[in-house]
Amino acid sequence: MLNPIVAQSVIDHALSLGADFAELFIEKHRTASVNTLSATVESVNSGIDFGIGLRIVFGGKVLYGYTNQTDEELLKRIASNLAARDRRDRVNLFTNFDFSVMPDKHPSRIILSKDAAIDSKVAFLVKADGVARAVSESISQTRGYCMQREQDIEIFNSEGLHTTDTRNYIRAGITSIATDGTEQSVGGWNDGGLLGWELSESMDAVIAGEEASRQALVNLTAKPCPSGRMPVVIGNGFGGVIFHEACGHLLETTSVAKKASVFHDKMGEMIANPVVNAVDDGTMANEWGSINIDDEGMATQRTQLIKDGKLTNFLVDRVGGEKTGFPRSGSGRRENYRYAPTSRMRNTFIEAGDSNLDEMIASIDKGIFASHMGGGSVQPGTGEFNFAVNEGYYVENGKILYPIKSATLISTGPAVLKEISMVGQDFALACGMCGSSSGSVPTTVGQPAIKVDDILVGGNA
Amino acid sequence: MDQRISDKLNTASNQVFDRARAAGAEADLIVSEADSLSLQALNGELDKHTVSSTQSFGVRVVKDEKVGIAYSEASDEESLNWMVDQALQNATYSKSEPHEKILDNKQHLTSDDSIFYLDDVATVDEQIALVLQLEKGLLEKDLVKNVPYNGLGQGTSSRYLFSSAGLQAASRSRAVHAYAYALAEDGEKNAMEGTGQVQRLTSSLDIPKLIEDAASLSLDLLDGKPIASNKYDVIFDNECQVQMFGVFTMVLSGKAAKEGINPWANKVGKSVTDSRLQILDKPLFVDGFGYALFDDEGTATADTAFVTDGVLQTFMHNSVTASHFGLETTGHASRGTKSTLGVGYHQLMLGLGEANDAELKAGEYLEVTSMAGLHSGANPISGDFSFGASGFLCRDGVRVQPVRGITVAGNFYKMLNKIQCIGDNAHWNWERSSLMPSVRFADLAISGD
Repeated sequence: MLNPIVAQSVIDHALSLGADFAELFIEKHRTASVNTLSATVESVNSGIDFGIGLRIVFGGKVLYGYTNQTDEELLKRIASNLAARDRRDRVNLFTNFDFSVMPDKHPSRIILSKDAAIDSKVAFLVKADGVARAVSESISQTRGYCMQREQDIEIFNSEGLHTTDTRNYIRAGITSIATDGTEQSVGGWNDGGLLGWELSESMDAVIAGEEASRQALVNLTAKPCPSGRMPVVIGNGFGGVIFHEACGHLLETTSVAKKASVFHDKMGEMIANPVVNAVDDGTMANEWGSINIDDEGMATQRTQLIKDGKLTNFLVDRVGGEKTGFPRSGSGRRENYRYAPTSRMRNTFIEAGDSNLDEMIASIDKGIFASHMGGGSVQPGTGEFNFAVNEGYYVENGKILYPIKSATLISTGPAVLKEISMVGQDFALACGMCGSSSGSVPTTVGQPAIKVDDILVGGNA
Repeated sequence: MDQRISDKLNTASNQVFDRARAAGAEADLIVSEADSLSLQALNGELDKHTVSSTQSFGVRVVKDEKVGIAYSEASDEESLNWMVDQALQNATYSKSEPHEKILDNKQHLTSDDSIFYLDDVATVDEQIALVLQLEKGLLEKDLVKNVPYNGLGQGTSSRYLFSSAGLQAASRSRAVHAYAYALAEDGEKNAMEGTGQVQRLTSSLDIPKLIEDAASLSLDLLDGKPIASNKYDVIFDNECQVQMFGVFTMVLSGKAAKEGINPWANKVGKSVTDSRLQILDKPLFVDGFGYALFDDEGTATADTAFVTDGVLQTFMHNSVTASHFGLETTGHASRGTKSTLGVGYHQLMLGLGEANDAELKAGEYLEVTSMAGLHSGANPISGDFSFGASGFLCRDGVRVQPVRGITVAGNFYKMLNKIQCIGDNAHWNWERSSLMPSVRFADLAISGD
């Protein structure tokens, strides 16, 4: 996408200003989204993002600029402006580019640049809508979406790296809204991956529509949630958002290097109950959070974060590695050319254990079964997190009694990791988007069902 | 001095409209341009320094009552032609929408540079010195161990709107902001809170005040602990109250009403809140940073009263939602270069109440100064919410106990009918996007110990 002669000239210019390291990230990003509202197409949108990000590093200082232009002189001017305050004699010589491309572990067939497949996407969403509304007369409306992206990236750096990659993302979902005349509730279903629209061959519009409406109808009958400290069983799949928020963000060197994570000095220590084993794996074929290379051009890895409760690795990008001394893990990610990369999660999950869901629920005197989690957020400095329960049930004497609404779970990362006492066998993954300092990136969360012995549940009963 | 639309932009818009018209379509075009500078400090050194210069184009075409949109970040002739062709193709998939038309609006609108686009003579070195001063000032505070999130940013943004009917609207503004989150630690206890400031000029930033504000937010909460689970009267601080209203603005959306998911859809002319509540939008109030001369269809904006004396007057409408209900647009069209037409407010405000500070803060209440999980803990359709929260248990205006590790839960729409009193003084949030008096809400469910 960028002439290597131009790239070489710009990077050499940055080195001539005394930079320790310089990098160009070029991105062309096609998008196409289809949105439906109750069986009719509400919008089809498409576009192309294009831009170049220039990163210059002086010691521990990161300077970053970006533009939509490929003009060599403009890129050099950005470099000069960024480095004006740090300019010094050259400390590094330019190394010739050595072009190499990692093998593609995520084959994609029906990709945006070849076939946007709008008719097929509309047909899937309309069918799911019909199924969803047929479930009950209480389903007043559905919304569907299908988002496809094709991200071409090219990276040059002053160490001679020149590489390219293409990432094909697809995600589809449906939301059902149920009403009983006075109250409204929502339910949803979604799926996605790092592949093309061939994902549709493994998706079932009937399952999608029925699941979205089932959840909406459950929530329509939900009662206010009891509040206070109690045991909670968190369901599999998207339930893994608890680990993502409670622990994953705190293991990114973005916060570790600043000592803004409560885990920054806990390497090798027991930070979780011994039943907890956790992984961040960027290599899983066609998974939503996977990548061939990270956004710094490094082959991505499988990183064991916690082994038998002990902290074993952080998620490390280039700058984080230099600041902390830990080896890079292929975790340098960014939303697009507008962001400098930082350490980010990929497919992050708690590994399967040996308990089962029934015995977890049976072990609760008074508590909650949070079968489907919503989103959440965390403050890395203190580890305080919160997340919402999208579908939950009140449990008493080991029996599920009734659905609950408006429940929020809040705790801190260190506390909740030690309160996980049971880990199930029903491992599953789910797609999500994770927002942080380098923008919003696709990440997968996952876990089997787990039991947390003591956590604060916020409700309005 | 007013700005002018460049020849290059005029040429680009003519190219877009010529191509759309040749295909039998009408069109409008949004062009967004931004230049920005962002600085962050770490341990007394400049840690991050980012500059950018970007432009993006977004076209909307209407042909045979069908609407299509597409965008491009490249401005060459080939890319703009591709963008128009893509929008025309996308329109063929859309359902017929007889209400969505390119407005017959030939106005030429230009924002006032003398208010919104001031020359900032501060140099980058001076701005770097300010962000270093900000971090240093906080680190000098006893018990502040770290300032992991801090920064100073300056940006200019320009927005242009053209249509095949002859509309030419241009607005631009310059703003500078600074923010800091201080991590305070005392043994096993820690707390991290923060705030910011926004101004038109770097010289107007008050860094010493920002240091004091950010430090006290963290330090005051250091000894925070949960309070007993119960129902409490709650006063949300300036930031939290604006956030609460922001989460639930769907209730003012004409688009959500058109789609049948707005819980107030059938309540225009009826009482929806406590009769003392006034909810309004003042887009032309120049003191705010949400100022808007025109909306994203190019309609000139004006003040709108949404709720007067507790009675719902109107929703936010663009021309499509207004036409659906047989009304006129209220100037609340919202569309970015990459998005479809929606609605959105400009500067949401609450009218002043009659309670003085002593009345507002009489007896026991919880002052909420920080909330978490707003994007996940709220259901705008039902109004139910449950957020993590921090703040202070207060009596007669005095903070008697810092509070952390609690949740505040309720139903926003019901909460608007359980107002104890409304303050007689209004405050901006730090981003200066909303001006509101404090409202004391009764009997919210707090979960703690």
